[in-house]
Amino acid sequence: MAVSVNEAVSPGPVQDHPPPARRSSGRGRAMLEVALLTVLAVVMLFPVLWMIETSIKENRDVYAVPAKFFDFEVTLDHYRDVFIASGGGRSALSVSFLNSVIVAGVSTVLATVLGVPAAWAYSRFTLRAKKDQLFFILSTRFMPPVVVVVPIFLMYRYVGLIDTALGLILIYTAFNVPFTIWMMKGFVDEVPAEYEDAAMLDGYTRLQAFRKFTLPLLVPGIAATAVFALIFSWNEFVFAIFLTSSENVRTAPPAIAGLIGGTTVDWGLVAASSVVFALPVLIFAYLVRKHLVAGVTLGAVRR
Amino acid sequence: MSSPVHLSTGRPGQEAPATPPAPGRTSRLSDRGLAVAFISPALLLLLAMSVFPLLWALYLSFTDYSATRGDAPQFVWFGNYTAILTSAQVHLRALTTLIYVVGAVGLQTLLGFTIAYLISRRTRGRGLLTTLFLVPMMLSPVVVGLFWRFMLDAQFGVINSMLGSLGLGQVEWLTRQRTALISLIVVDTWQWTPFIMLIALAGLTAVPKYLYEAASIDRASEWFRFRTITLPLVWPLLLIAVLFRAIEAFRLFDLVYILTSGGPGVSTETLSFHVYKVAFLGFNTGTASAYGILMVLVVIVLTQLYLRYLSKLKED
Amino acid sequence: MRYPKRRGRLPVPGRKIHLATAAMLLVATTTAACGDGQDDGAKASAPKAPATIPELTKDPLTLSFIWFEWPPAQALETFANAEYKKERPNATIKVNTVPNANWHDAMFTQFAARKTDFDIAILDSQHIGEAVTNGNILDLTDFVKTNIDVNAYNPYLLAAYGQFPQAETGQRDENASLYGLPLLGDTWTMIYRKDLIGDKPPQTWDEMISVAEKCQADHPGVSGLAFHQANGSDAAAVTYNTVNGVYGGNLWNAKERKIEGVLNDAAGQEAMNVLVTKMKPLTAKGSGNWFIDEVNAAVAQGKACIAFNWIAASGGLLDPKQSTLGTTREQILDKLGFATLPSQKTNLVPLGGMGMHVSAYSAAANQAEALNFMKWFERADIQKKWAAAGGVPSRTDALESPEFLNAGPFNQVYTDSVPRMRDMWNVPEYARLVDIENTNVNAALNGAKRPKEALDDIARDQQNVLDSSGRKGGGGL
Repeated sequence: MAVSVNEAVSPGPVQDHPPPARRSSGRGRAMLEVALLTVLAVVMLFPVLWMIETSIKENRDVYAVPAKFFDFEVTLDHYRDVFIASGGGRSALSVSFLNSVIVAGVSTVLATVLGVPAAWAYSRFTLRAKKDQLFFILSTRFMPPVVVVVPIFLMYRYVGLIDTALGLILIYTAFNVPFTIWMMKGFVDEVPAEYEDAAMLDGYTRLQAFRKFTLPLLVPGIAATAVFALIFSWNEFVFAIFLTSSENVRTAPPAIAGLIGGTTVDWGLVAASSVVFALPVLIFAYLVRKHLVAGVTLGAVRR
Repeated sequence: MSSPVHLSTGRPGQEAPATPPAPGRTSRLSDRGLAVAFISPALLLLLAMSVFPLLWALYLSFTDYSATRGDAPQFVWFGNYTAILTSAQVHLRALTTLIYVVGAVGLQTLLGFTIAYLISRRTRGRGLLTTLFLVPMMLSPVVVGLFWRFMLDAQFGVINSMLGSLGLGQVEWLTRQRTALISLIVVDTWQWTPFIMLIALAGLTAVPKYLYEAASIDRASEWFRFRTITLPLVWPLLLIAVLFRAIEAFRLFDLVYILTSGGPGVSTETLSFHVYKVAFLGFNTGTASAYGILMVLVVIVLTQLYLRYLSKLKED
Repeated sequence: MRYPKRRGRLPVPGRKIHLATAAMLLVATTTAACGDGQDDGAKASAPKAPATIPELTKDPLTLSFIWFEWPPAQALETFANAEYKKERPNATIKVNTVPNANWHDAMFTQFAARKTDFDIAILDSQHIGEAVTNGNILDLTDFVKTNIDVNAYNPYLLAAYGQFPQAETGQRDENASLYGLPLLGDTWTMIYRKDLIGDKPPQTWDEMISVAEKCQADHPGVSGLAFHQANGSDAAAVTYNTVNGVYGGNLWNAKERKIEGVLNDAAGQEAMNVLVTKMKPLTAKGSGNWFIDEVNAAVAQGKACIAFNWIAASGGLLDPKQSTLGTTREQILDKLGFATLPSQKTNLVPLGGMGMHVSAYSAAANQAEALNFMKWFERADIQKKWAAAGGVPSRTDALESPEFLNAGPFNQVYTDSVPRMRDMWNVPEYARLVDIENTNVNAALNGAKRPKEALDDIARDQQNVLDSSGRKGGGGL
């Protein structure tokens, strides 16, 4: 089941196809379309801009009514507060960022190491009930986290994984492996099996053929897949909030959520930490922009 | 690397008359060994982290077990299931979830497709536009929830501030029954419209040019072209996106937790949020497990549908 | 579709999968059953702490607390590390904090795991029942008898933060078991704008409402009232309970475990009506999800004439950096007054604050250290130092000491409120009861339910929770 739309729609480079067609009504309509597009873009981007703006405002300007769009004093204090505690030293937020890096990083590596070989095997070999297996794999990815967290919690308490980084790493790996398999299978499908067959005729074993010829070709795909796994683990909130509680394990999403609900809310700090938190994801997403379609659909839809 | 070759991707379930891939030094048997060695670690992890917990939940769903009370589980058999399926509270949450899923996914589809269509008609700046539009989708739901909560604040939120400048009154976005659910839908739509847009764009840019050319020779009207060429070609892809979003929306928890925590009253409590309350407020683990299993069943059905459309898409 | 029948029939491997499934189920069942056998070993009642403190370790030791994220948590950690270290140089105090919304879940999921990363749980007074019934915290009765001077306290404070079953009458039951000792006392204070309504705070609830009404009318842009309305934590529930108490209502009849007909009697209805039809219209638009921080923000932004908030959470109001009311503490205090709550039919005020409770799952050395810490903390001199450090003590001598009364403008309010306090139910079902009340009061405040309907729903649903112990299945819905 090579899920690919290559057959459905023509592949190849994206072309500027749509017809300029009728010149008569064209100009006015084009302007209307551009205007509409601009409005939509502003609406979609405004919250992000507002977040950035709030992160550099003094707190008294943050609450100003009517809202101040331009005339406010710029301050970088909130960004300092993200990393440095009020009494000096590392802030709890920066510790949580570090935890996020570790948890997301390790779970991504694990998911890649487990998922890529499996994807290759699913792509290359005829296996029993392959479709069922792949369906099973995919459906584990779709489980509602709130539902999974209950039995996982019970399981973890017997093995002592509650409130540990390892516990989070394992569950994130388990959620990322199905994704990696599905996404990577698409990439492997695109590498002709003949390469390996030819190599094997030359005397390589299949494993060697995989390592020497297929794997290098898969590197861009692996990178893209890993980035998506990384983004998922980085942004994940439900497991993090229910499976961890102590500050030295807590990842960034629950830590940022914890900024509200105290006795005062420092929205400037919330905004600054959100920006810091979102930045790596945006950069990574930009790096893999070519594979976005595949990435967001677990590799199901490819272009 | 868009070679359309899919050689050994195997017919599903086929018992395979076993043509060895190459008469090299490797035998069919070692291929199998290799497959097992490559696949089993991943499958074992999934068995341990997904299947085993779910089976455990399945067992607990027939009991009155509580994770905190520590008494041995007593079997109540289908007691939890009948209680859930007949509970007015659950029906209420199911309705809320349904409205939310239909509203949010519907709105996203409409907007996402519109944006994709508009972008696909531009010749310049397409890459930049697409990238910009995608930003919301990459943010963590925590960030999205917190920030919209700030912006939707009735007193000092920027949305009401702008409405005020336009001479319109304050709207209680998060504290009225109707507006709270609408806000939830709006925020989700804001975050996930890019998703639909991205996939629709993939479909739109792949519509073969010659089809349009043929149509414009025929002097077919724009709407006619859209209806007969564009839509049929993009539709299958769009359906995939919609189903995918529906599954995700059905599981929604974090946005509710942060934006409204279910309020006002319980009017924005989704099924996921209700499961959380049953599981962690009263620690009624048995009931929560049954509730969860029922949700998993819905997800499995949706996933089946999703895969069916995928296969169809491939075969067309 | 080329293989239309694929999903229709089960191929041979499918049957194997079924077998495997069955086997897995069996394994799961057995494992779970074994695990539960383990649970049975742990008695479903609290283990006892020794009467005397065991010998303390000389090795470095970290004594961990769990609390939620707010200034007193930071204050406690700083205070304890500065002062307790003088007695026990090898001990370090760590106060873990979680978001308030997650506080109950964070503690009780760890209790459920039978493994805690904290030695002292700072439980809300109402959490005691759940923790005691599940055997999560130590029984301190004997320890208190030999180590703590119980006569130094208002008996109700000892009862509220430690006793189970609860002290319904507001009097401590000398024979009941104790499971905790007071850490931080708290109650609501009325915060009023002296510059808007005058120096003298309103004395009755009715007067308070009419003063707020007038203030709101006279000062456009400033709302008459600000109070907790959110449906999370215990926000809206405490608000209703407070009004309920002031108007002479009762939350339940503890002896007969009756809520239906007690909570929603005439007094209860009147309280709900006052809250929804008289108080709510005086609040800011969109304040229906406000809790501690939003109320504080409204006061600091000068947007409320009269506000109600927990004393322990009010310190930030005096911080000029967060306030538009003045550029110094003195300027702010010229405008803000703090007073005990007005009374009406009764003078009840809500009991807040938390006690210290020793986790049954922490190591023996840590439990010993925890007991030692608690004994130290309840000493007269330490209680005064805690007061000076910004904490709210519980010993009567500390409450009446200048160290405490001069430490904050609201501290006199606390001392005056102590004899007037009333708490909620601290039964094991607390979390469910408070959720029912929170969501329904929140619904009434935001127009999603009529007041009477909401109150009747609370009474009925809460009664169901109390009565549901014998029911088969579906508990917790």
